[in-house]
Amino acid sequence: MRVAIAEDSVLLREGVASLLTGAGFEVVARCGDASALLRAVAALRPDVAVVDIRMPPTHTDEGLRAAVQIRADHPRTGVLVLSQHVEPALAMRLFAGSAAGAGYLLKDRIGDVAEFVDALRRVAAGGTAVDPVIVSALVSRPRPDDPLAALTPREREVLELMATGHSNQGIADRLYLTVRAVEKYVSSIFGKLGLPATGGESRRVLAVLLFLRPESDRNRR
Amino acid sequence: MFTAGRPAYPAGIEGHKVPSRTLRIALASAGAGAAAMSVALALPAGRIEQAALFVWILLAYVCCGLLAWTRRPASAFGRLMVLVGFGAALSNLAWSPHPLLFTAGLALDLLVVVLFLHVFLAFPTGRLSAPATALVGVAYAVSIGLQLTAMALGAFGPGNLLRVVDAPRAADVVHTVQLVLLSALLLAGVVLLAVRRRADNLPLRRSVRWLVDAFTLGLVSLAVLLVMGVLSAPGFAVVQAVTLGVLGLAPVAFLVGLLDARLARASLGELMVALRSETGDLSPALARALRDPTAHLLYWLPQYRSWVDHEGAPATLPESVTLIRRGGEPVAAIAHHPAVAAERDLLEAVVAAVEMVIDNGRLRAELRAGLAEVRGSRARVVEAGRRERRRLERDLHDGAQQRLVGLSLRLSLLEAQLGDDPAARRALAEARDEVATSLSELRDLARGLYPGVLTAHGLAVAVESIRAPVPLRLDVGLDGRLPEAIEVAAYYVVCESLTNVGRHAGASSAGVCLRRAGDRLVVEVDDDGTGGADTSRGSGLRGLADRVEALGGTLRVWSPAGGGTRVRAELPCG
Repeated sequence: MRVAIAEDSVLLREGVASLLTGAGFEVVARCGDASALLRAVAALRPDVAVVDIRMPPTHTDEGLRAAVQIRADHPRTGVLVLSQHVEPALAMRLFAGSAAGAGYLLKDRIGDVAEFVDALRRVAAGGTAVDPVIVSALVSRPRPDDPLAALTPREREVLELMATGHSNQGIADRLYLTVRAVEKYVSSIFGKLGLPATGGESRRVLAVLLFLRPESDRNRR
Repeated sequence: MFTAGRPAYPAGIEGHKVPSRTLRIALASAGAGAAAMSVALALPAGRIEQAALFVWILLAYVCCGLLAWTRRPASAFGRLMVLVGFGAALSNLAWSPHPLLFTAGLALDLLVVVLFLHVFLAFPTGRLSAPATALVGVAYAVSIGLQLTAMALGAFGPGNLLRVVDAPRAADVVHTVQLVLLSALLLAGVVLLAVRRRADNLPLRRSVRWLVDAFTLGLVSLAVLLVMGVLSAPGFAVVQAVTLGVLGLAPVAFLVGLLDARLARASLGELMVALRSETGDLSPALARALRDPTAHLLYWLPQYRSWVDHEGAPATLPESVTLIRRGGEPVAAIAHHPAVAAERDLLEAVVAAVEMVIDNGRLRAELRAGLAEVRGSRARVVEAGRRERRRLERDLHDGAQQRLVGLSLRLSLLEAQLGDDPAARRALAEARDEVATSLSELRDLARGLYPGVLTAHGLAVAVESIRAPVPLRLDVGLDGRLPEAIEVAAYYVVCESLTNVGRHAGASSAGVCLRRAGDRLVVEVDDDGTGGADTSRGSGLRGLADRVEALGGTLRVWSPAGGGTRVRAELPCG
């Protein structure tokens, strides 16, 4: 799998590169800023790009804007954005209508090689990755007449894994369940929350995230 | 009082004294004598009608000149007018049968034309501008020099004592050239008057406008008269009568102007009443009294070494201004149109009136300036705090957080190289958890210091991830960014209010509403709790109010017992 890395700290960039090389990825580009990344992606068409959200010159949201542009210009290249902020709104800005081939993780996550590599493979394959901390912040948010209260603890676990972008197989592996059991939980959750059953995993991620965001409280009333 | 900027009066008011009574009587008598002489010379020559017109000019200019001299001794204008009166009489000497007087009268015959030009262009200061000086100088040379040349060539018949040769044709040519030149110079004077009138575009100075109109008319009539003299046109006598009549009107217009100034002084009583009852800006009353809509009052604040307007806002002293001093130090200034400086009586009276009431206005301006200073320093303190917090947050972000991420990464790489020693793997996993916890805590700390996400992504994004203690209705009606200091203040209002909801309110839900209303950002946070919040004690609310007010905003809290709490902040975001 071919990957491009955009990160202005040389130390982190090289660290991530050697980590991914060790995990079997082919690192085809190492960029220090967003414009270098855009050029590299256009020229090399990697399967996936790992992008730091804060890069030169202004150190604000260059990475996010580059990611949005890559998603528009090269839909076959997945984009995984790394951020220091637990901001659901930024993840939603990245997804903007479709979560396929996109991910938003906290930068901390690169310390957890297995999780990080798993997320990167999902995104490269057209799936989705959302940081668990963001999902749990959304799930634990107080809401009026909390519809999540109707879920069993196991259903909540399934919901959170679903929202982070895991497939039914992935959820089954993590919770030591069969895929059939996971499927039953998923349809139960969708029924209790009044969500229409959707097709792919990425669409389901978006549907769940939208449900969990504060705006949904207003719409439900 | 003294007048700063362009001096309205020639060097030193003190240097010019009012003409003594003796001098005035002497000049008036001389005027009467000259009038009698004109009549006496005119009777045998059969020119009594012409003489009457010259006497009219003589008396009008001498009398008005004396009056102007007395009332405005600093201006040479009055003295010039007296001179014009006598100059007009001099040409009448040419009616004398005595050769010497006849010759003198002829030599000075056209001098009075230039005297008119001189006095009109010298209004109101008595001084000439550079182009006017040149114009008048040439005119004097033409009127005397060419006249003497023509006389030397034998013009004006046998009585001319200055005749050297008898060349009547040459004399005629010189005389014609002289008249045409003088006529052109007069018209140039008209142009100068028009230019100056345009420069002094003050709508209200009616009397001055009339006066300039009278001058213009007089100069044009004179020019026409001279050209008619060249052409020997019929009706010369009629035009001459009209011209002299018009020229005599100028002093009358001047008298009207003086009267106008007197009327203005009469309205000073009104000004006093207006100034005493005025608690705000004194400038409108001042503008009315001076009949100058541009007039306004400025105050000197020595502690700020600055001029300020009545709002206390710093102002620069305009070019045309009259200072009000106390003990040698300026305390205030009346800024006015340059033309107002010519009306010294009026200005002095207004200054006297303003002096009596200036202290209130000055204290008010001082208070406002002080208030603005305090507001400014509070805003600077808050802004410095904000910048410092942002710097700390960035340092944490780019320093400690980045290093910890790097550390966590190295631990991962290490793990890959590690064998199957379970103890070592466990130790490594623990270390990694430790780093993860530190990162999480550091993130909370950084966010508490400053909402870094706001810098890049704006208020709407930052507000969405504020952790609320109760279900929250978010209503964010904002598109586009606002100044960061405003966004941060709004963010703190929301955070602090929600923290209070969690601590005190006993609420089951809360609402946050952010929207723009014109050039204000309105932030509202309400809850359905018990209300009755003590707004005076809570240092959090006080701190919020300080922050909001430092930016020129307002913060209000409603918290009736049992009725929930509502915090509303309005911030300027023009």
